Amino acid sequence: MQTPDEIIHQPVRLKIMAALNTLSSGQWLEFVVLRSIVDTTDGNLGAHLATLEASDYVRIKKDFAGKKPRTRVNLSPKGREAFARYVAALHAILTPQNVAPEPSGS
Amino acid sequence: MLPSAEEAAQALRDIAAIKARAAGFQDYHAESGQLLLWGAAYFSGFTLTALFPGNILLVWILVVVAALVVGTGLARHTNPDIPGIAWRYLTLIASILLFCIMMNLVMWPLPAEQSAMIAPLFVATLYIIRGVQLRPRYLLIGLVLGVLSTVGFLFFQPIFWWWMALACGGTLMLSGLWLRQL
Repeated sequence: MQTPDEIIHQPVRLKIMAALNTLSSGQWLEFVVLRSIVDTTDGNLGAHLATLEASDYVRIKKDFAGKKPRTRVNLSPKGREAFARYVAALHAILTPQNVAPEPSGS
Repeated sequence: MLPSAEEAAQALRDIAAIKARAAGFQDYHAESGQLLLWGAAYFSGFTLTALFPGNILLVWILVVVAALVVGTGLARHTNPDIPGIAWRYLTLIASILLFCIMMNLVMWPLPAEQSAMIAPLFVATLYIIRGVQLRPRYLLIGLVLGVLSTVGFLFFQPIFWWWMALACGGTLMLSGLWLRQL
């Protein structure tokens, strides 16, 4: 059986990937919105985004909305494929032949 | 190392929860634009009605048509991935307008103040239903809109149109801003 992607498996990164995966390929999510969805701190989110960006799973764009600096995040095609594989691997773990039966007589 | 079945199940539950949460934020964001638009429309409509009470029909035809045009563009811009979004949007607004027209026909003749209560109370009810079924912020928006509109009708008749400009238009605009607060 395929081992789930260790980069995505970390809980905060899993939430980031799941949130970004709800968007279509051309859509970007603002950092502050993502932080609210994932429910974490700026520093924590930034650190995990850096890890995902280093793996080419997400793309980060920094620009200005008017005079306000804005950071936006988008799931790359590689990240979308990796997330799909990760979810498939989780489902595979839960298929009946892979789930160990409960010990009887307990 | 391979996660256990419990860990895998938990991860799938986390994914489902985040998916629902993200959908909620996107829904609120899309709705906020419409609330700001229709809040501004109600504010303009009721203010113009207070200023030109002899031209109520003309005022509201102009306001509704303008809001429809802008609203359709906004719906297209906010939800580009939903097929037929413009038609869905127009059908939704048309059904609300049709309801208001039918209520006027059924209860005719009725004073302008009574007639003006139909749309806000209907919209308030729709938001309450949506709030109960889907997302809690809509419930509060519906309640505030319904209560303030009714209070104005019952207790502030001398300043009814000005009251409604703030109670109805103001509530919708503030609600639109609130939905953008995360």
